[in-house]
Amino acid sequence: MQTLTYDFPAGQAAPNAVHVGVVASGDLEILLEPPPSGATDSSASVRVRTSVDGFDTVWHDVLERFFTHTSLAGRWELNDFGATPGVVTLRLRQAAEAALGGQP
Amino acid sequence: MTGTAADDLLAGQTWQQLLARRSFIELDALERCMALLDEGTSRVLAGPFARLESPWLEPQGITPQSDDGVVIARGTIGGAPVVIAAIEQGFQGGATGEVSGAKISQALGLAAAESRSGTPVAAVILFETGGVRLQEANLGLNAVAEICSAILDLRPHAPVIGVIAGTVGSFGGMSIAAALCTRLIATPQARIGLNGPAVIEQEHGIGEFDSSDHTLIWAVDGGKARHAIGVVDDLVPDDADLLRGTVLEAIRVGVVRAGQNRSQRVDVLASRLAAIDAAHPPTPDQLRQIVGATYEPLSVRPAAPGPSRHDHTPPRSRGRTWLSALNEGHPPQPIISSVLRVTNEATLYLAVVPDPENPYHCARNGEVGLTESLALAQAVREVVDADAAAATKRAIVAVVDLPSQAYGQLEELVGLHQAMAVTVDAYHAARTAGHPVIALVVGTALSGGFLTHGLQANQILALDDPGVEIHAMHREAAARITLRTVEELDSLAKIVTPLSYSVTDWATLGFCDGLLRVDDADAPTATDIKAVSAALADAIERARHTPTDLSNRLDSPAAAHTRRASRAVRDLLAAQWNAAVTP
Repeated sequence: MQTLTYDFPAGQAAPNAVHVGVVASGDLEILLEPPPSGATDSSASVRVRTSVDGFDTVWHDVLERFFTHTSLAGRWELNDFGATPGVVTLRLRQAAEAALGGQP
Repeated sequence: MTGTAADDLLAGQTWQQLLARRSFIELDALERCMALLDEGTSRVLAGPFARLESPWLEPQGITPQSDDGVVIARGTIGGAPVVIAAIEQGFQGGATGEVSGAKISQALGLAAAESRSGTPVAAVILFETGGVRLQEANLGLNAVAEICSAILDLRPHAPVIGVIAGTVGSFGGMSIAAALCTRLIATPQARIGLNGPAVIEQEHGIGEFDSSDHTLIWAVDGGKARHAIGVVDDLVPDDADLLRGTVLEAIRVGVVRAGQNRSQRVDVLASRLAAIDAAHPPTPDQLRQIVGATYEPLSVRPAAPGPSRHDHTPPRSRGRTWLSALNEGHPPQPIISSVLRVTNEATLYLAVVPDPENPYHCARNGEVGLTESLALAQAVREVVDADAAAATKRAIVAVVDLPSQAYGQLEELVGLHQAMAVTVDAYHAARTAGHPVIALVVGTALSGGFLTHGLQANQILALDDPGVEIHAMHREAAARITLRTVEELDSLAKIVTPLSYSVTDWATLGFCDGLLRVDDADAPTATDIKAVSAALADAIERARHTPTDLSNRLDSPAAAHTRRASRAVRDLLAAQWNAAVTP
């Protein structure tokens, strides 16, 4: 198991806390919380705990691409049980949509 | 689903209804709660943002889940107050760990407290579990014992409804919990058993159970098969609306008359076992014909007695040795050859011992099987009934030295989980009636065997001896199932205490009430006997002056340290139980 942390610049603060997904085989759960009120710098701070070691670069690239399109600030926690990059991206989008009030 | 006829899955529905239905199985744990509760009433307690993770997984390199795989939701069903405990099958196969288990038992405890104070709160447990989480071994095993006790505490006041939808189903100790429920609902896609087919094959070979034979698996464990022998009340198709309707009806019916719960029916278990000839085990079809779907005593004649038994000297075992040693002048009497008892004015002693001629061939080494469960339950119930009016109830001492429960096909076919539930219910009834129930571990105390004979005690004592081993599963099997070598398991146990096979480590988990030094655990000396007798007398005295529930396992000084996560669950659930609805 590996714990990875990343920070990405983000413009809009996540309006709601959301939880999506399950730590099931090939899947992950995401907890997204709005930045603390009064926080000055807005960024997406991401912590990934993954059961598969050695994919630091892939995680970075997948997350960077997502946060380039979806600039949602807050505390992101990803608990991963071997999800593929495609599944990770889908769960990230689901979390963003849910936080913005859309239907997940 | 190979081998299950397509018609079985319809469970009385038409294909059109099947296609139009909303599948319950496809929902995750939270969605299942929402599908059952009245719209707009659901409130999740101790949810993901409370971050009550298991503290034991990360040190083993396993990603934890923020709610440890159990959703607790309050709300109403048909207007009646309900708490749902839903197990998420995706996370660790739904296996019960310290936190996930404490969430279930504490939620049931809060429902019982509120029910006793005048507002019945029904409980619905969505079982989807492979049993004890072997990565948390002893804490998971104890969590299951606490869940069993909490179900029994609530059951007289409000119904506890078990739902097993699939696809994981219910296996291991949690199936004992399922068998304690007021009412049990299953789909045809559910499987229910104590030991899963792969574990039986691993223990006794492919001749005992071929775990690749799906037809056999479904004929033994399948929801339809369980319903056909009366250990499941309702067989419902995988349809969220139909399942909700069945749960609603079960809540409306409410509690069962005292003594009539399935796990209280010692008479039915006795008559079923009397009708089975273990030397010529019935096929699944034959069993269905013998016992039928109605859970009532059979009117058939008992099966012919087996061949006469040889008069061998019984094999030595620590259970037999200590039972004799503690009762000088009162030789242990067999209830059956594998269950011994000593009764005196003040105490009932019970032990399960090896019986090389046991007609149930998977229960010859002192395992707790079908007939052992029955004999233990009968002996305990006898004392509880006899002392019903007594001011001082006799103590019950479970002398524990057992390798496990019996891993056998016949055991599963008949429903070992249901038989064990009868024993668990009896021990719980004794404890809550005021009998001091003491477990004295003198040898190995493993898995479901210990859940049945020992873990419902008020007080647990163990000999401080290398031959004493308390665990959820024996080393080799635990290593195989968690995909580790025995050496890896042993080195992990040094940092993850509940994994340890050492009794001194076990004693730090919070539920040891005495670790007793002896010179010789196999052949106790006079000093050993005197010391253990004194410790037993002290434990009996303590049990008379402490709560008759299992709260001491959370309040002991060791628990305050080791079971911090369980205590955090208890405190948070209590704080949120009556909190205003939060968005």
